[in-house]
Amino acid sequence: MSASRRELLAGAASAALALARSAPAGAASDVEQIERLLTLEGRLEAAYRMALERDAIDRSLGQTLLAHEREHVRGLEQVLGGAARRPRATVPEPGGGVAFTGPRAFARYALELEARTVAAYEDVLASYRNERLLQPLASIMAAEAQHEVALREVLGTDLLGVG
Amino acid sequence: MAKASVPRVDPRLTRRSALGGAAALALASCRGGDPAPSQGPRAGSGAALLGSIIALEHAAAAAWAEIAGRLGGDGRRYAEAIRQREIGHAERLGGLVREIGGTPPEGRPAAEYARLFPQLRDESDALRFAGDLEERLVRAYLDALHSLPDVDQRRAAAEIAADESEDLAVVHVLAGEPAAPRPFVTGTL
Repeated sequence: MSASRRELLAGAASAALALARSAPAGAASDVEQIERLLTLEGRLEAAYRMALERDAIDRSLGQTLLAHEREHVRGLEQVLGGAARRPRATVPEPGGGVAFTGPRAFARYALELEARTVAAYEDVLASYRNERLLQPLASIMAAEAQHEVALREVLGTDLLGVG
Repeated sequence: MAKASVPRVDPRLTRRSALGGAAALALASCRGGDPAPSQGPRAGSGAALLGSIIALEHAAAAAWAEIAGRLGGDGRRYAEAIRQREIGHAERLGGLVREIGGTPPEGRPAAEYARLFPQLRDESDALRFAGDLEERLVRAYLDALHSLPDVDQRRAAAEIAADESEDLAVVHVLAGEPAAPRPFVTGTL
């Protein structure tokens, strides 16, 4: 188990307790923030799974990225514990059908979804209250940022997203 | 003055660990001697931590100049782009330090940094050094998150951590490795 996954799970128990307390604004806000991340992670997981089913991504890359997203989902679910109020997304966003027609179309779609997910983590990290979870959440965000580079490589565009 | 070569190490250590250790030592010494950002900001304002990271970014920009000198083609182009990003990070963080009444540390002359870096014999050495540098930078920002008291400071740290992780992924690609090998990117000390 990676160090970060250990940290995430270690923080999860105390976080779940904190989130479950009926105290108020702070805790509720943290629940909403994790739920938002979980929705995005669920969409990414669904997207890579569907892309693999439809041969819209290189098999090795797709399996790696799918495995990462599953780890992220599992970690966030542990953090939420019993506090989850909404079912997580298990299918790609509506309108994403055209994205699965081939590797380039899918890479463009997934890149946009990854970028939105990274931006969501940045929002959460700026204001999240449970300091024990900041590093584990950031380590997931950093992995998603690397996914963007992997997808730009597929597209043959600048790896840093410039231009 | 001649550049320092990789320090003498136990022969059982790998060359990679030697370069990694040298990267950590070089960066630590680059920021260790820098003065405190200023007398101005109150304790706990984040100024000292930001100043320390700015010094690290100055050292990283200098390191990327050395790395660029050992790479060709796309490698050199990316090294120069990443160097510019590090300079931009130092400027952004410097702005945050000024907002709280501090004075960010300035960079040192390139030669002063260069003598602290390991000797890079070829492209392979350069990419290993680059990977170790970026691992160290990612870790610095992840560590900083829980100590920065202000929302804007934390947002900057999070956004720059994402940049550094991208830079690390580019180094992976240049070395012929997968861009995103791990589900959690923690960096290393």
